[in-house]
Amino acid sequence: MDIFGSFALILAFLAAVYAFTAGIAGAVTRRPLLTRSARHAGMAVFALVTLAVASLEYFFFTDNFSMAYVAAHSNRALPAFYKFAALWAGQEGSLLFWSWMLSTYVFFALLINRNKHPELMPYAGVVMAGVQIFFLTLNNFVASPFGVLGGPDASGTMRLAALGDGHGLNPLLQYPEMVIHPPMLYLGYTGFTIPFAFALAALLGRYPGEKWIHITRRWTMIAWCFQSIGILLGAHWAYAVLGWGGYWAWDPVENASLLPWITGTAFLHSVMMQEKRGMLKVWNIWLVFTTFMLCILGTLLTRSGVISSVHAFAQSSIGNWFVGFLALVFIVCFWSYWLNRDYLRSDNTLDSLVSRESSFLFNNLILLAACFAVLWGTLFPVLSEWVVGNKISVGPPFFNKVNVPIALFLLLLTGVGPLLAWRKTSFDSLRRNFAWPVIIGVLSGIVAFMFGWREFYSLICLILCVFVTLSIASEFYRGARVIAARDGSNILTAIGDLTMRNTRRYGGYIVHFGMVLIFIGIAGSAFNKDIQMEMAPGQSLTIGPYTILCQNFDRVANNNFESERATLEIFRDGHSQMMLYPERRFFLASEVTETMVAVQSKPLHDLYVVYAGRSPETGKPVIHAYLNPLVKWIWFGGIVVVLGTGLALLPNRRAALVLRPVAEQSWGDAVAKGASAVGAIARSSDAHD
Amino acid sequence: MIKTRARIRPILYAVVVALFVTTALLGYGLSVRAQETQRAKTLGQKLLCVCGCNQILTACNHVGCTYSHGMLKQLDDRVARNEPDDLTIQAFVQEYGPTVLSAPPATGFNRAAWIMPIVVPLVAFYFFFELVRRWRQRAATATASGPTVSAELLARAQREAEKDDDEQR
Repeated sequence: MDIFGSFALILAFLAAVYAFTAGIAGAVTRRPLLTRSARHAGMAVFALVTLAVASLEYFFFTDNFSMAYVAAHSNRALPAFYKFAALWAGQEGSLLFWSWMLSTYVFFALLINRNKHPELMPYAGVVMAGVQIFFLTLNNFVASPFGVLGGPDASGTMRLAALGDGHGLNPLLQYPEMVIHPPMLYLGYTGFTIPFAFALAALLGRYPGEKWIHITRRWTMIAWCFQSIGILLGAHWAYAVLGWGGYWAWDPVENASLLPWITGTAFLHSVMMQEKRGMLKVWNIWLVFTTFMLCILGTLLTRSGVISSVHAFAQSSIGNWFVGFLALVFIVCFWSYWLNRDYLRSDNTLDSLVSRESSFLFNNLILLAACFAVLWGTLFPVLSEWVVGNKISVGPPFFNKVNVPIALFLLLLTGVGPLLAWRKTSFDSLRRNFAWPVIIGVLSGIVAFMFGWREFYSLICLILCVFVTLSIASEFYRGARVIAARDGSNILTAIGDLTMRNTRRYGGYIVHFGMVLIFIGIAGSAFNKDIQMEMAPGQSLTIGPYTILCQNFDRVANNNFESERATLEIFRDGHSQMMLYPERRFFLASEVTETMVAVQSKPLHDLYVVYAGRSPETGKPVIHAYLNPLVKWIWFGGIVVVLGTGLALLPNRRAALVLRPVAEQSWGDAVAKGASAVGAIARSSDAHD
Repeated sequence: MIKTRARIRPILYAVVVALFVTTALLGYGLSVRAQETQRAKTLGQKLLCVCGCNQILTACNHVGCTYSHGMLKQLDDRVARNEPDDLTIQAFVQEYGPTVLSAPPATGFNRAAWIMPIVVPLVAFYFFFELVRRWRQRAATATASGPTVSAELLARAQREAEKDDDEQR
């Protein structure tokens, strides 16, 4: 069976090489047969890598501990749920998983576009096959997941060896979210390959117009959405598993996932300028290139051991391969750009600094500044060691100091941008659109200040959140009012109608609102409280409105772990609210101890309790309790972001439906009324889209 | 009865004063302790645990971490001795090396860590405004000069116009 998996991987590699070479030959000679066979080979890679993945999963589920990878990352007592997730627990398996995700994307990209864009697809297929070749080379020749345990015996014959039981899965990964978080993140990372392939293909083939932008917009949004889910699930995992009371530590691996997300966000905004005004063509192409290169850089940081991180559990010398690939990608991108730069001339220029275009440009600059600051802080320890020979640390205080003002400025632009019109915004329009959101935002800040909300950045964040929410609400209200007046429907129905007519725009606003909720949640962290205390049964501690009474300490065991557990009763205003059971688990196979946090989550705050082990001096159990305000808003905001992105991916309901309610009227009246309504929406859309 | 009250009164006063003093001392003691705890927390934010977890000293909760417990105790002792913050930080740097600092100090090459995230966006903004200025200048020139017409095309248009005039005549 191991031969079957290895064989499937080798065939996948050969198929990718064929797709690459036949694709180039097809594009150069313009022979459709070659192009078609290259496409089929590209699609076959998916089937072959799927077979390899299925084969490795089979080894996990049958506890085949003669396989080195299975022995290193699984054990008999591991629940089936985690045996499935053990596929991506280590270097070799996660690279195979990466190839699988990538081949899935490539398969669908080739399938969906099989009869479309005959000039563009051969080039795109070649680029996608090129990326696949790199990862399949790693899977086959550098980090194969199908290595077996064993060695030569006295006679020099190779003998297989099998362990009685495996070393088990890293305990940090034995958490339900870890089954979802890596696939989401990988779907994000690998998904950015598709826009990259189409962008490079359009440039190489000098494909006319903005077609590649239209083709890749949905792919970019899908990748971006998965990346967002992956990042948020990672943050939630860090919060619920690592037990230090926070969700974002600016760890290099966390930063690596954030970098392509930031440039992807910038691209999703600036792409609108190219679609609407034919501007920023060079910028957009390079944003897509940069996003892809940052995905590769992120993988390099996670796996190479260049930067120390608590998350980088898969370190090896594989980093050199990524450095080489990154350099090659940059050379190809730069060379393609240099040869075809005249093709990227802008059709229009900026008419005014107070316009939708300039707000997008600002937004892009700020996003890029944030990206640079994160990248700079992440790589600075390496740079410092390289330049002055001294390795230093760059931790959360640096990132917070640098990035919080940038993030707040971005939040401001989230509110300002949608209220500006394309080309130029008049002073009257500015006054009309901004007056109420600004006034109410400032008033809410004053009220919050009076109620003790004194932390500067947090207060500014609150004011901006109110401002952005109102600006989004006013956008919905203004559009819906036109529809409600025309149809005689109520405002809520009109909002639904309006949203479905321009899903991209209003879905985008919902994403913005989700970001506002996330910002509110982050602003709450300024008011975190915590207390640590040695507690014997019968003792209590107080944090915020809660009193935590220690009832008992006991031990629980199963085949997978032994656990020391605290039983805590939570009181609020003298009334018992619930029981919490923070634990400390000792995983038998890996012989590692980890904390299991107990969290009582409410909209206004989380009571987060960690059983921190026993005091080395007294031997008494130590309880560390945190009161973290507004954390739930972050997770809820994440859900809103995903829903908004999903909505933006839906096709618009066509304007023809606008005429439906007036079908029974005379034809002339209907046309006149319908045309005026469509005109009103189109004007509103032109002004604000 | 009056005599008894007169005798008790000084004792009552003494008890009240003692209670007041005790409460004040206790309150002062608690507030000093709270301040110390707060100061230790603030200082702890400036330091990293050196166990390799890359976490802020006060946030490291790794089981069996051989560093954080000792480092936190050391920090608490120094804060309790009312040692100046700079001295405390310096003592940690001397003992554990510069990687113990959670952010780069603003000295020597490390200044670049703080300067670059400000300089790069400023340069980007400069280029942005310069680009906008050029675009607007170009747009204004294009509007003022109107569409460019080649000499050949102009001559052809004149010829056709003259021909039209002749035909009309």
